[in-house]
Amino acid sequence: MILIKALLLYLLACGLGVADEAVLTEIAARLAKTPIAQGDFHQHKQLKILHKPLVSKGTFTYDQSKGVIWKTLTPVVSLLLVNESKLLTGQGEQAVPAAFGKVFKAMLGGDLAALTDGFNITGTDRKTSWQLELSPKDEMLKKIISTMLLSGDTELRWLEIREAAGNVTRITFDGITHPAQLTEEQEADFERLSP
Amino acid sequence: MSVYHPKLTAGLWLAGMLAICILGGQALTKDWLETSFLALLPSNEQQPEIAKATRQHNQLSNRKVVWLAGAATSDEAIGHAQKLKQQLEQSLLFNKVVLEIPQQQYIRQYRQLFPYRYQLLDAQTQAILATHPEQLIRQNLEMLNSPIGQMQAADLERDPSLIFSRYFNAQNPVKLNLEQGIVVLSDRQRFYALLLTELQDERLQLDKLEILSNLVDGATEQVKADGGELLVSGMPLFTAHGAKAAKQEISTVGIGSSLGIIVLLWATFRSVRPLLLSSLAIGSGLLAAWVICVLFFGKIHILTLVFGASLIGVADDYAQHFLCDSFGEKDWNPRKGLKFILPGLTLGLISNLLSYAGLGFSPFPGLQEVALFSAMGLLVAWLTVVLLFPLLLTGFKFDHQPGILKLTSYWEQHWPLWVSKHRRGLSLLLTVFIAGGLWMLTPQDDVRLLQSPPAELLRTADKIRSLFPMSPDNRFFLVSGQDQADWHQNEQRLLQRLDMLKQQKSLTAYEGLSGYWPDVNRQQQNYRLLKQKLYDSGLLEHYMTDLGFEQTAVKAELKQFASAESNTLALPEWLATADEAKQQLWLGCDSGRCQSTVALTGISDAGALTELQDLPGVVWVDQVEAVSSLFARYRIRASGLLLAAFCLASLGLGFKFGWRNSVTIMSVPVVSLAVSLAMLGWFGQLFSLFNLFALLLVLGIGVDYGLFFFMAGDRRASTSLGVTLSALTTLLAFGLLAISSTEIVHAFGFTVTAGIVAALLCAPLIGLKTISSE
Repeated sequence: MILIKALLLYLLACGLGVADEAVLTEIAARLAKTPIAQGDFHQHKQLKILHKPLVSKGTFTYDQSKGVIWKTLTPVVSLLLVNESKLLTGQGEQAVPAAFGKVFKAMLGGDLAALTDGFNITGTDRKTSWQLELSPKDEMLKKIISTMLLSGDTELRWLEIREAAGNVTRITFDGITHPAQLTEEQEADFERLSP
Repeated sequence: MSVYHPKLTAGLWLAGMLAICILGGQALTKDWLETSFLALLPSNEQQPEIAKATRQHNQLSNRKVVWLAGAATSDEAIGHAQKLKQQLEQSLLFNKVVLEIPQQQYIRQYRQLFPYRYQLLDAQTQAILATHPEQLIRQNLEMLNSPIGQMQAADLERDPSLIFSRYFNAQNPVKLNLEQGIVVLSDRQRFYALLLTELQDERLQLDKLEILSNLVDGATEQVKADGGELLVSGMPLFTAHGAKAAKQEISTVGIGSSLGIIVLLWATFRSVRPLLLSSLAIGSGLLAAWVICVLFFGKIHILTLVFGASLIGVADDYAQHFLCDSFGEKDWNPRKGLKFILPGLTLGLISNLLSYAGLGFSPFPGLQEVALFSAMGLLVAWLTVVLLFPLLLTGFKFDHQPGILKLTSYWEQHWPLWVSKHRRGLSLLLTVFIAGGLWMLTPQDDVRLLQSPPAELLRTADKIRSLFPMSPDNRFFLVSGQDQADWHQNEQRLLQRLDMLKQQKSLTAYEGLSGYWPDVNRQQQNYRLLKQKLYDSGLLEHYMTDLGFEQTAVKAELKQFASAESNTLALPEWLATADEAKQQLWLGCDSGRCQSTVALTGISDAGALTELQDLPGVVWVDQVEAVSSLFARYRIRASGLLLAAFCLASLGLGFKFGWRNSVTIMSVPVVSLAVSLAMLGWFGQLFSLFNLFALLLVLGIGVDYGLFFFMAGDRRASTSLGVTLSALTTLLAFGLLAISSTEIVHAFGFTVTAGIVAALLCAPLIGLKTISSE
């Protein structure tokens, strides 16, 4: 995914990351480079107090300049739209929740400076797949998130968020494509984000 | 003053001035200078409760200064803000400097309100529960499954239905993005870190305001040098700017007019004595005015001093008249001089005092101060001239013919002749000029014209408002009820209507206590609603089981709900948990009445809002509009006052000199007033209440000049000199006011200047024919 690629390049350029430079270069080289990515996601959220996971499925669209469309199809249909300055959900415009909001935006919206400034990053690159581990530096963020794991090949395939409270969210991405342009529906969704 | 005892009168004067000096010594030890713009406005004349509500509503905003440190990335912005925070804390100007939003307060509030969660429902949750309770469950699933649902997920254990989470979020309707605990705002080009400060005092002393101004300038430069941008706004900044401008103007006007007067007097008298005497008259007048004003009002406003500085010119009239009289006769002595000029001086003083008494009847504290200041200044200047000058002028004699005397004599002799030769053409011209000017004259009563902050300050304020739409408008609703229940009902009705208007985008947000705190009846209703729709219906149990809660957790929740039935949360307890902005909304209950204010943000359709005051117990309070309409009313009232002062002066003169002569004398102020008004029209100047007060001054001075010439008899040459000198000094003073950047001061100066020039031109035409009759 382009944003991961860009992130890695950014890490290299700034020399801020602690990951082995060679590994990051390799990973960056493997990632597909397009401004638009879309696909299906499968989210598996395990909350400590519930004896079964919250499972949701849907589609996502990433546009380098416009932001992210996160469309949940099951168990309830809902739409989440986010860019650098705005977050829209079924309940209307929301504040991006403290600290975590920034991470989410950074993951899906490409706010790379936030990730590199806020996390210690280590990585491994194997023949079939690569993996990155991000742990927050910020004290406030640490109270919410302990680590985040990212894994993929030419795309980001898998993302795991381990919360400090013990809840774990696993998101897998499938059927990723890189269309040259957005569909009318996607354009209309992004239109709602513009001020 | 038929008995002439120069030593005795001088002694009296000395005793009086000593008393004033002693009082002045005491006054100086107090904090006597008022700089707040609000102090100029009348405390609401209609109802004391509106005044109280207004005061409370303004309390926070009068002290609040908002700082936004901007940069290309949010981290840089936060960096600038952190640096700025240190600087602000070191300044010791603020009792609060908030950068990191204190999480402790939220946590404490959450804990304190949590036991009442089944009683506290926000309006939206109430509506959903009443009509589609299953929708609530759906929304919960949506939130929990959302990739940003971490906070809700964390709450789920304590609050499985998430109703308290909903209530808690509804308390802060404007959502702000937090990074590292700091509010970060964005306009898509830059990120801004927000810093809120609160000044220690609501009414800052001048030196503190100056420190604030310098601090803002310094910090702006600093952030700019670091590659960022700093936006600062707040009421104190506007006050600081006004105070700074006024201070500069006081020194410009004061120094300018003093210098001008010194040059004029030196050129005329070529002696130090008149100069010193004039200064003494002016100085004692100003000192007495200042001391008496501080004693009477406690504090004196900086704008009063601006007007006061211009008083120099008027106070000088008496001294000039006395001094110039010495040119009138070969064997002049102070005794003869005083005898000759005293009636004119006294009548002049009385007419001036009458004009200022008019100012004193306005409800504007600022104008009352100006009135007292001016009246006292003039009275004491007059007393100085009458009581002290005879002694100090003993043996005083000029042995030169000042050049200016030749000029004014020539002027006094030839100007009336020229006018009478061209009187037809001139009167036609004058009529057309006056008629045209009056035709174009349009009153403007907007109180905002009182302050003319620089465009940049306004632009910054607008920019901050668009980024951070949290500062409430100065318009608000005042809601009352006979008791708490009645008040609650009235406010709820208002909030419902406001919600509709909000959806129609008439405003962006509103804040009323009843929206957060349900009264005791409502709390019970809320509990019953939850019981009926969620708990007894089995909906909650079903939802919890489906979600994967253990059976023990479900049972525990049902049990907690059952045991909370009799909980009630009283308003004082709720208020104790709320932030300052919300606490400020409550005005309290007394003598069978409970009151609160409803704050509004981002008003775009004020018309729609004013309609809501038809609701029971609801009053729309628009301070600006109220004061503006007050201005309009008092402009009309002041016009009446002007007319009354005019009639009074005419009557007095008529009584003393006969009707025909009265009309002759009064023609000077009449033409001066008309020309002054016409000039305002032709030049498209601000025409408001304040011009009318300037016109009162023109009336007084016009009568003075008319009188002096009327009574000049064979001393027309020295009278002409006296009038010209005093007109020139007055022009120096008021002409300088016209350069003021404050609109009303400028308008005042312009009006008086136009009026005095007209009076100076008209006055010599008076009294020519009376020479024979005297």
